[in-house]
Amino acid sequence: MAFASIYVPNFLVQAAVRAEPQLRARAVVLVDGTPPIWNVVAANEAALQAGIELGMAKSQAAQFCNVEIRHRSRLQEKSAHAALLDLGASVSPRVEDTAPDTIIIDIAGLSSLFGSEENIARQLMQRASDLGLITHIAVSSNLEVALHAARGFAGITLIASGEEAKRLGGLPVRALLPSTEILETLERWGVRNCAALAALPLLQLSERLGQEGVRLHELARGASLRSIVLAEPGVRFEEEMALDFAVAELEPLAFLLGRLLDQLCARLEARALAACAIRLRFDLENSFEKDFQVLDDKPPRLAAKTYEKVLGLPVPMRNSKMLLKLLRLQLQADPPHASIVKIVLCAEPSRPRAAQGGLFLPSCPDPEKLELTISRLANLVGTSNIGSPELIDTHRPGEFRMKRFAPASDESQIPQKNGSTATAQARQEDTSASRRAATAFRIFRPEVQAKVELQDGYPARIYFRGMRGNIVAASGPWRTSGDWWREDAWQQDEWEVDIRFDASASSRNERIPNSRAQDGLYRIYYDSIRTAWFARGRYD
Amino acid sequence: MYTELHARSAFSFLEGASLPEELASVCKEYGMASMALLDRDGVYGAPRFYLAAKKIEIAAHIGAEVTSAEGWRYPLLVESREGYRNLCRLITKMKLRAPKGKGNVSGAEVAEYAAGLVCLTGGEEGPLAHALAEGGIESGTECVRELCELFGKQNVYVELQRHFLREEETRNHAAIEIAEKLGLPLLATNGVRHALPERREVLDVFTCIRHHRTLATAGRLLARNSELHMKTPAEMAKLFSDLPEAIANTQLLASRLQFTLKDLGYEFPKYPVPDGKPQIHFLRQRAYEGMISRYGPNDERARLQIERELNLIEKLRLEGYFLIVWDIVRFCRERGILVQGRGSAANSAVCYALGITAVDSVKMGLLFERFLSEERGEWPDIDLDLPSGDQRELAIQYVYERYGKLGAAMTANVITYRGRSAAREIGKALSFNPETLNRLTSLVGAWEYKDANDTLARQFRDAGFDMHHPQIRKFFELCLQFQDLPRHLGQHSGGLVVCQGQLDSIVPLEQATMPGRVVVQWDKDDCADMGIVKVDLLGLGMMAVLEDCLQIISKDYGEEIDLGHLPADDPVVYSTLQKADTIGMFQVESHAQMACLPRLWPECFYDIVVQVAIIRPGPIVGKMVNPYLKRRQGREVVDFLHPSLKPVLERTLGVPLFQEQLLRMAMIAAGFTGGEAEELRRALGFKRSEKRMKEIEVKLRCGMDKNGITSEAQEKIVQSITSFALYGFPESHAASFALLAYASAYLKCHYLAAFTAAILNNQPMGFYQPDTLVRDAQRHGLKVKPIDVTCSDWLCQLEKDSQGFCVRLGLRYVKSLRGDVALELVAQRAMRPFLSIDDLKFRVPMIQKSELTTLAEIGALNFIGGKQGVHRRDALWQIERAARRPGPLLEVVEGAEEELKPASMEVEAAPISPAMQSPLAAMTGEERLVADFRGTGMTVGLHPMGHHRVEMKRRDVRSASELFNLPDGMRVRIAGGVITRQRPGTAKGFVFLSLEDETGISNAIITPQLFEKYHVVIVHQQFLLVEGRLQNQDGVISVKAETIQPLHITRAETTSHDFH
Repeated sequence: MAFASIYVPNFLVQAAVRAEPQLRARAVVLVDGTPPIWNVVAANEAALQAGIELGMAKSQAAQFCNVEIRHRSRLQEKSAHAALLDLGASVSPRVEDTAPDTIIIDIAGLSSLFGSEENIARQLMQRASDLGLITHIAVSSNLEVALHAARGFAGITLIASGEEAKRLGGLPVRALLPSTEILETLERWGVRNCAALAALPLLQLSERLGQEGVRLHELARGASLRSIVLAEPGVRFEEEMALDFAVAELEPLAFLLGRLLDQLCARLEARALAACAIRLRFDLENSFEKDFQVLDDKPPRLAAKTYEKVLGLPVPMRNSKMLLKLLRLQLQADPPHASIVKIVLCAEPSRPRAAQGGLFLPSCPDPEKLELTISRLANLVGTSNIGSPELIDTHRPGEFRMKRFAPASDESQIPQKNGSTATAQARQEDTSASRRAATAFRIFRPEVQAKVELQDGYPARIYFRGMRGNIVAASGPWRTSGDWWREDAWQQDEWEVDIRFDASASSRNERIPNSRAQDGLYRIYYDSIRTAWFARGRYD
Repeated sequence: MYTELHARSAFSFLEGASLPEELASVCKEYGMASMALLDRDGVYGAPRFYLAAKKIEIAAHIGAEVTSAEGWRYPLLVESREGYRNLCRLITKMKLRAPKGKGNVSGAEVAEYAAGLVCLTGGEEGPLAHALAEGGIESGTECVRELCELFGKQNVYVELQRHFLREEETRNHAAIEIAEKLGLPLLATNGVRHALPERREVLDVFTCIRHHRTLATAGRLLARNSELHMKTPAEMAKLFSDLPEAIANTQLLASRLQFTLKDLGYEFPKYPVPDGKPQIHFLRQRAYEGMISRYGPNDERARLQIERELNLIEKLRLEGYFLIVWDIVRFCRERGILVQGRGSAANSAVCYALGITAVDSVKMGLLFERFLSEERGEWPDIDLDLPSGDQRELAIQYVYERYGKLGAAMTANVITYRGRSAAREIGKALSFNPETLNRLTSLVGAWEYKDANDTLARQFRDAGFDMHHPQIRKFFELCLQFQDLPRHLGQHSGGLVVCQGQLDSIVPLEQATMPGRVVVQWDKDDCADMGIVKVDLLGLGMMAVLEDCLQIISKDYGEEIDLGHLPADDPVVYSTLQKADTIGMFQVESHAQMACLPRLWPECFYDIVVQVAIIRPGPIVGKMVNPYLKRRQGREVVDFLHPSLKPVLERTLGVPLFQEQLLRMAMIAAGFTGGEAEELRRALGFKRSEKRMKEIEVKLRCGMDKNGITSEAQEKIVQSITSFALYGFPESHAASFALLAYASAYLKCHYLAAFTAAILNNQPMGFYQPDTLVRDAQRHGLKVKPIDVTCSDWLCQLEKDSQGFCVRLGLRYVKSLRGDVALELVAQRAMRPFLSIDDLKFRVPMIQKSELTTLAEIGALNFIGGKQGVHRRDALWQIERAARRPGPLLEVVEGAEEELKPASMEVEAAPISPAMQSPLAAMTGEERLVADFRGTGMTVGLHPMGHHRVEMKRRDVRSASELFNLPDGMRVRIAGGVITRQRPGTAKGFVFLSLEDETGISNAIITPQLFEKYHVVIVHQQFLLVEGRLQNQDGVISVKAETIQPLHITRAETTSHDFH
């Protein structure tokens, strides 16, 4: 039994360099953070020697000449880790996915293929290098020893059986990954390497550091035993289909999607799961952007080659027919701009919904059907125009947002404690206000632009929707402004006006409604930012 | 014509966004003749508003919005002095019974204090709006009717505000109806909360701060529009064109409001003379008694001066004030509390005779007018220095007891938004994440000196922020607007005001955060401006050091030292000062002072007075330091600017160094009266008063023309005077400080151990870190022993061994060791020595593992349980086990075994048990150094540089002590730990570094260009190697740096005192 541990030192930087091999000879710094703050999270040796320190601000790092700065990419790290796993899988099926930067391979029985353990290690190092990774490799019959030796020693380390304690002696205790507290204690004790740790009396050590101390002691002596934990290939609910002929019509596409969805749902069912979201990806034929019709000196831009869509589901589902209907509606609303050459469908698994019906609970629509209805409506009116309107706590007139319809949860039927939030209060106030209001107000959505003539600062005449009217009475202005810290600050002067429309306009033009019938009380406003007048709505 | 009668300032604390001065200035600009300020529950901004208004000749009406028990606010305007008194008492009553920042008044209380007040019905937070919302017009009518009953019908005005809001207009309709029904006048106001429309942004951020929200989540808590700013009379007339009487009534009401803060009615309390005789008799008696003891019976000059001063005191009726201060000083003396008057009081012979000050103003020829002047019409200002801490508190409590809770109070300290606090609050309101917020706020701290490249924009860029980002830009703009706006009311550290009548009728009083303290609503400057006498009881760290030092000397040396009778011309003191060997000495220990001392070469007390005064921004910027030193060294001819000024400038060799000299110069050269000279002094005190300085300059030149002074001499005189605008010392103040400087120098020179223990026990204070103080004492031959739990107390103590006294460091220097734990440890040890670490842990159960770890790491547990000692790692090994104790049951059993041991089994001859030893290796020297600095911030062992001297020699690095013997101009290398970094505002961007090694301190001067180049190294590295040219002039040694490099000699985290 022998194990080879492969460790990628400075993994973050190596993952970045792997994507840009020309950086290998340069000083490289990785920054990460939340904009606008970026800090140095990793740097290679050349950068550290140039004076870069971890934690430095990006702008400070930028002051160093000849230092290449890159943003940390989790995608690159994922690829590097996948490459590391591929490396393991290329020589043995028994691979442990220990950490993003470390794997362990069971190399027992590989000698007939690769020769001695040293040769195996060399082969692994060469293959890693081909994958763009510089590695440390340690081989030992003890898995933990191999793991820590790879982390602690550069190059290839072969540790013969019985020599574990001796070889690990010079390894810093930090490589054993103790907890921060124990590491601090060991540092205070002056115990810096495995030899010093192994030399401590075990009983007294356990009195002081407990079971973790005992475990570290075993590790330091190379006496720890554990089995390999084989990496399990992740279960991905993904189905794909490459098409011989590009599909441009929805019907044939729906047929293909239906087949894939049947397979996906069957797989989900086999594992007693359902989908909480479906990810859809189409590979498209090359095409140019449709709107490139205008005269432009620039060369035509190639449109994106893939089309992606995520279908979020309110409750986990695995009814393929229902899912197909929902997907069709989505595609109808936003079709791909070119013919499809490949379809990839991926389901995000989740536990299926288990609902217990009650005899005395009011019946409510099946959430799946409700979702379908909503999707149909969204297809008709646009996704941003469906849901339940919810007032926003702001002075900005008429402001609201659409809240997605969601099936009532059990919690929502439980009376809530009296919340003291402003929103709750506002809602209460609004309800009581609307109860008091005697007049209904119909808001024009979208707002209607108007032209207004002023007389002594008061609106006197108005033109909108093709009609012209005299303002016989006006009340205002009612001024609101706000959100001054945002790009979309607003400032409006509202007026309530009584308009008498000119009858001649509608008689001349049939498209204009009977203007006399439009007479009444309106709310208009002047937008000081856009320097324009608008009609906000009409009082019943 | 419209007058604004309802405005809030930023002194409504987070409910108003403009300073009173800004409101007054906009009022003037808009052509209004008067304005009323109604801050929330107080008259915090009234003095500043009154003074600003007075200056620009508009009338300042005073009032307040007083919170009712129901939550709405009565807008009250003061009509007469009685009204003001009532308002102050009403607010005091409400404030004193409620926690800080809270409180409300009941209708009955309002009725009690309603006389002299006019009540408005208010805006959206007023009583009428509240009543209308509750019960419509009927309720509103009832509410106004009740107001009429409370204040009288003629004192209620129905207020109308128009901010273009629907609800408000509905309210206005109801208000008009009610006014008609009840026959009350209408009054237009704008409910102003900020002077200019753009300040609305500040108001919105304030709202967020008040409600702990961000701008994104504050929603409708924010202002609906920007209309709460001041409006011109024309704008208001247009707004109320349908109700002209509402505008006209503002004028009528304003004419009724006759009260101004000029009529405050403040009287200083009378001192209770024992036998009922007039106070002046009692004062004269005390002064003459003092005169005889201080000057002897035959000093005619002193007698005449005291007589002159007493006559003026009597004329100004200030005898009570002097007696009260005398009484406080007497109280302190009786309780053995060190006390010394400073500031302009030291100009007074009466103060000297009464024992208030220790400076003989007659002998020193100090200007009495600087202290008290008939023309000035201001109260004198006596500051008393007391030892900081409990002693000062005793004196404060004495004043409270003596004058009663409503007769004495502390002055307030208005806490205003400064760079960092503003940045933090604004960043939160703008929803910056904590990391961004920390980064932004850290940016705001900057060096005192800013060069042209040091702009905020650059600092932002360096920290990774884009100034073009709209939110960052908004943040930056808001930060600028926030500067100096009040945040909340604090308590001034020592300013006490005392009043003859009830102080609460002069200014509202409120609870301070500190229990048992009452604070007035005005800060000390406002009190002074309003003519309220204050006594400053200031805590001075050095006074506490001197007091502690005297106690230690008495206890350990068995000697009684009287600071008043120190040998006046002690040669050791002067020789030490001449060598600039002054670390730890009061006022003469800074780098700049040290660089001056060898050149000034003090030989008598007056030289110390000059020394204390000369290193100040005034003389430095006025370029007076070098001429004085050159003249002193005989390298420059003494010149008096004009022959008439010789008597004034003679003793400072023709160079004006003190404020008094400038005033005298003005009096002699330009014929200024004492009062005019005082006006000049006040002008010098204001940095921003360029206009005022120009006016005075014209006056000066005019006077000098009359006296026939040539234009060349005039230029020099004006130059000397104007440069003092930046700040200089009055001679009397310098003399008071010089006394303390001399005393500290004397005690350090003759009682080094006691002085070192005392100064270490009063840290933080002064210019240097404790590590530097210890090392300096060691270089002077004092043995400083490390912390040891078997003998260290909380404070540093003296121990005596064969070589004399040495200092044992106290447990207060163990970082993270809590005071109560340390005291418990000392108490347990006093009962019986600790046998082991386990014993210590058992008997001091509250001690935490982290505390034990620190004690073990610094070697404080090495001698526990035996005299032979274990090493630090043995102790660390033990505490890991001691910290993992068995359950409480077993622990008691283990402890009980120890308890049962007879006292005779104590540790006298106890050998180290094997259990005390560990398998761990002892710490190396470097490890001990690191542990010492980490655990105590200092080491009593060899300086880190000392461990590397051989290597330093190899690298041709000179030690600090070697530099004295090297010639000027030689190229040298110096190295050491940075103990101070300074970039003074007066030094044009130069940076001064003090580097310490095992032999002493060397100084490096860094040019702005070099600083730019090595910025990161200079600021962040603790050990530096500096190469450059040696400057060895007149015994002042420094190296003008040419290259700087970091020195990696230890991982010990040494600290430095940085001034940037």
